[in-house]
Amino acid sequence: MTPKFSLKHLHKSFGQKHVLQGVNLEIFPGESMVIIGGSGTGKSVLLKCLLGLLHADKGSIQMDGQEILKESSTQQEQRLQDIGVLFQGSALFDSLTVWENVAFRLIYAQHMNRKEAKLIALQKLASVGLNESVANLSPAEISGGMQRRVALARAIATQPHVLFFDEPTAGLDPIFSSVINDLIRGCVNELGATALTITHDMKSARAVGDRIAMLYDGKILWCGPADEIDTCDNPYVQQFIHGSATGPIHLETDLQHVA
Amino acid sequence: MTDRDKTEENRIKRKKTVTTLLANIGRVFLDFLASTGRVTLFLFQALSQGFRPPYYLHQILRQVWEIGYLSLPVVGLTALFTGMVLALQSYTGFSRFNAENVIANVVVLSMTRELGPVLAGLMVSGRIGAAMAAEIGTMRVTEQIDALTTLSTNPQKYLIAPRLLAGVTMLPLLVLVADSIGVFGGYLVSVYRLGFNPALYLQQTFDFMEIQDVTSGLIKAAFFGFIIALMGCYHGFNSKGGAQGVGKATTYAVVSSSILILITNYLLTSLLFEQG
Ligand SMILES: Nc1ncnc2c1ncn2[C@@H]1O[C@H](COP(=O)(O)OP(=O)(O)O)[C@@H](O)[C@H]1O
Ligand SMILES: [Mg+2]
Repeated sequence: MTPKFSLKHLHKSFGQKHVLQGVNLEIFPGESMVIIGGSGTGKSVLLKCLLGLLHADKGSIQMDGQEILKESSTQQEQRLQDIGVLFQGSALFDSLTVWENVAFRLIYAQHMNRKEAKLIALQKLASVGLNESVANLSPAEISGGMQRRVALARAIATQPHVLFFDEPTAGLDPIFSSVINDLIRGCVNELGATALTITHDMKSARAVGDRIAMLYDGKILWCGPADEIDTCDNPYVQQFIHGSATGPIHLETDLQHVA
Repeated sequence: MTDRDKTEENRIKRKKTVTTLLANIGRVFLDFLASTGRVTLFLFQALSQGFRPPYYLHQILRQVWEIGYLSLPVVGLTALFTGMVLALQSYTGFSRFNAENVIANVVVLSMTRELGPVLAGLMVSGRIGAAMAAEIGTMRVTEQIDALTTLSTNPQKYLIAPRLLAGVTMLPLLVLVADSIGVFGGYLVSVYRLGFNPALYLQQTFDFMEIQDVTSGLIKAAFFGFIIALMGCYHGFNSKGGAQGVGKATTYAVVSSSILILITNYLLTSLLFEQG
């Protein structure tokens, strides 16, 4: 089976800061992959490289066997048509209302009429637990957790076959976290979508992922089935999932460079 | 330390100052070339995207509204007081030669050829250029521009092209309004303050005015509108690093468009001047 995404020796630096230093990862069609890792390890950067929003310095990224580091902007546009993305900061358009945000791709790219698009948007909003009363508000008028859910609704509105979620449950209470986890699972199970979820939240990682990969120090340190993560003998992974302050993962502070 | 050591040291110091000065000039020049290149590339991308369908009519209308309609009060007020001051000042000057009857002519010429477009350009650059840089800059740092791309919408086409189009078309209209209000301001002062005959003043205004005075001002205005939109969009689109970055982008947009307006104004004036 050709992987949906295949990353080889991927490198990305910002000036002197080497964020990705040889990432190797394969994601198969219909699979839900979860990437865990400490904050600032480059998870969001990795996701933006996959989308082509950031240009990787070295290595290769293939989607359906096609190299995307060499693609033209037209090819990128075409490729993105079947991808839904939830950005870490939600990234809702504040000049539009909530429902227009959700229906954005339907209206602007698929030229659906506004009435039909609104119906779909309301459906999607309901699936993330938001009712009609928020639909006509502007994104600035709703809470951060609600914005997150609106952004999620926008990502899945056109039922794309590839989904990227950057910390979908950050800032949500446990109940809504479960709702979101179920929703992501549903997209994968029912639509046969391929999903890549970035998270810190181990509960969510276990609920959502078929496989889990851990990013550390610019590389994929461990990658395996979600139910094996508790029994794996990698000390880094064990420290991360138990959240203990002592272990091989050192807190990379600037003080270290001074000392 | 002996005197000779001192002079030697001074010589080295001076040499150092000269080299750093040259290096700085060189760096500024290279920076200038590099940013000219980047702006040109940005413009090229925006244009090549903007001419291809789909066209975002709603976005275009919104910009037309923002630039054309909402700038009217600022531009109108500026033009009114400028026209009034022009009449007063030229009266002071020309009454010394007993040439008060040319005031109407001076007012209309200065307004249409020079002050209308330049003042409207500078005011709109402060109002619109800053707003564009702030809005697009915020969209950049909050990943909204990335989100546009992932939602199959080209940000150049959706954000930049409508602003450029609205800038180029709306500024001439604004300047036409500014010209009229400026002339009206001059009329008010001449008639009610300086005691001119209203009919005579109007006749003098229109007798000496040539159509070219107005069109040359409108041509300038189109260039200025283009500069304002381009600088606002460019600095906003390339801003980085949170609120501070957006603030910087706003400043750059206003400063660079104001300077470019003044330089372009001179170049266009000398070009149009040769054609009479
Ligand atoms: N556009 C950028 N310019 C410079 N540095 C960046 C940029 N984007 C991310 N970084 C750096 O890359 C590192 C990883 O960031 P990120 O991927 O956002 O972390 P996370 O794993 O928490 O999502 C951070 O140290 C950040 O400073
Ligand atoms: Mg992140």
